[in-house]
Amino acid sequence: MEAYIFNLLNLIAIYGILAVSLNFIIGYAGIYSLAHAVFFGLGAYTSAWVGLNVTPSTFVTIPAAMLVAAIVSLVLALPALRVRGEYFVAASLGLQVIAVTVFSEWKSFTGGIGGVLAIPPVNLFGAEIYQPREFAIVSVIALLIVIAITLALVRSSFGRNLRAIRDSESAAASFGKNVPLIKTVAVVISAALAAVAGALYASFISFINVESFMLDTSVLLMAMVIIGGTGTFLGPLVGAALLLILPSAISYLSFLPQTEIGALQQIIYGLGMTLLMIFRPGGIVGRRSGT
Amino acid sequence: MTSTTIAHGEPLLQVRNLDKSFGGMKAVDDVTLDLRAGIVTTLVGPNGAGKTTLFNLITGNLARDSGEVEWLGQDIAGGKPHLIARRGIMRTYQDLRLFDSMSVWDNIMSATEYGLLPMPMSSAARHRRKERIEEVLERTGLSDKRDTRALDLAYAERKFLSMARIMATEARLWLLDEPASGLDPNSYERFLKILRDDREAGTTICIIEHNLDIVIGISDRIAFLDRGRLLADAEPDTVLNDPELAKIYFGDQS
Ligand SMILES: Nc1ncnc2c1ncn2[C@@H]1O[C@H](COP(=O)(O)OP(=O)(O)O)[C@@H](O)[C@H]1O
Ligand SMILES: [Mg+2]
Repeated sequence: MEAYIFNLLNLIAIYGILAVSLNFIIGYAGIYSLAHAVFFGLGAYTSAWVGLNVTPSTFVTIPAAMLVAAIVSLVLALPALRVRGEYFVAASLGLQVIAVTVFSEWKSFTGGIGGVLAIPPVNLFGAEIYQPREFAIVSVIALLIVIAITLALVRSSFGRNLRAIRDSESAAASFGKNVPLIKTVAVVISAALAAVAGALYASFISFINVESFMLDTSVLLMAMVIIGGTGTFLGPLVGAALLLILPSAISYLSFLPQTEIGALQQIIYGLGMTLLMIFRPGGIVGRRSGT
Repeated sequence: MTSTTIAHGEPLLQVRNLDKSFGGMKAVDDVTLDLRAGIVTTLVGPNGAGKTTLFNLITGNLARDSGEVEWLGQDIAGGKPHLIARRGIMRTYQDLRLFDSMSVWDNIMSATEYGLLPMPMSSAARHRRKERIEEVLERTGLSDKRDTRALDLAYAERKFLSMARIMATEARLWLLDEPASGLDPNSYERFLKILRDDREAGTTICIIEHNLDIVIGISDRIAFLDRGRLLADAEPDTVLNDPELAKIYFGDQS
């Protein structure tokens, strides 16, 4: 039971990093990305490769993961952010589809469909951290650092620029803001932070394959942000925790017929989400409509 | 922002033979116009005359078909909007385009900063900027609303916030798109005082207005646009006393 709780906590922290970094672009810049799982995956594969082939030190694997995700995000951001918002969603979807193919086929880097095995655990100054309980300290600290970075950015002039662009791109440009550049930088930061989650995930689970980095993960992450409340500080965390806990919580409801539990779980889950969006369109933490 | 000095009344921005068509319709048709330093030029003309389009061509929001726009002798036509803005040409929008989710204070603050990275600022500079924003809030009557979301402001307050954003910048030329439309008499007096004070301080101002009566008292020069063509560019008296223009402007009422 204790291992179960800490495993869950670690997953919440890792998905919390993903949701917070996605909220950074959705909530503050109005950029909707369906490719967040790609950067999660790039972080995981890169840190696994570096950990297995170069050094297991987390102080190397995480920066390497961030760098690779940042570079690939530029490929998405540079062309896509010059056009209108809807196109970014489409372009990010395209990247997600391509990435799944690459993750499945590029055997030397991703291990193909079989994935990568025996990824070294988090290694801080030579100390290996693989117990769920110890790892929880690492993952929660990483989450806090990611939150601190995004909060500092959001509250700086950079964050004001992002919100101004979200509210009116043309007015922002009329006050001298380089709109495509600012949006590109936001996407790159978001991707690099998602890669931190990927690196932690790979070293915690020690085995990764493409199934964790597919479109359904990107959609789940977007759901976490929207359900929790876009543009809020706590929203993505609440969303991440809720969507990770809910499926297993539903399966514990004893009055449900155990044979149908899988289907019922999906129905309750879907229904809950729909009702929530009807009654709290701003998300759980977001402001109520009309206030 | 350049600080080239231009004598009062000399051309600061020169528009030369500017053309813009939408489909087959000429929205701006061979317009040549000077905006002169330190004065208020009012651009009048019926709805759909091409006034907003002319602004959009100057600020780079729209690409011109042909013609030149010179700022302090340099050709700026075809430039990107944010780079044109950084030269000191800033504008308001007819539909305001406030940063709706942000507070009044943040709206004004955001208009004054465009660096990608937070600029390292001395505490004296920080203090000066704060004082400047306070002064703008005072002059626009928005001091009590500084923490209100732009979306939650009343109509006149929204118009003043649109003014406040541009007032807080160091722009040398203001292009104001129907800033006075729909203002009640008190707000209107406040608006005129802002224009007079800033003209006094050396700002060059171009106002779009389709109601001539509204701006007659503040205009040093009037440019009259109709169906994309500039029909007059002269002192207010000259324009007002031109029977041909009066006919277009007031309609055929005789
Ligand atoms: N982006 C655009 N695309 C197509 N037609 C436009 C566009 N902008 C303006 N127009 C047309 O150009 C003409 C001039 O419009 P505008 O400059 O907004 O007039 P004004 O500001 O003088 O009322 C109008 O007929 C308008 O419908
Ligand atoms: Mg107009």
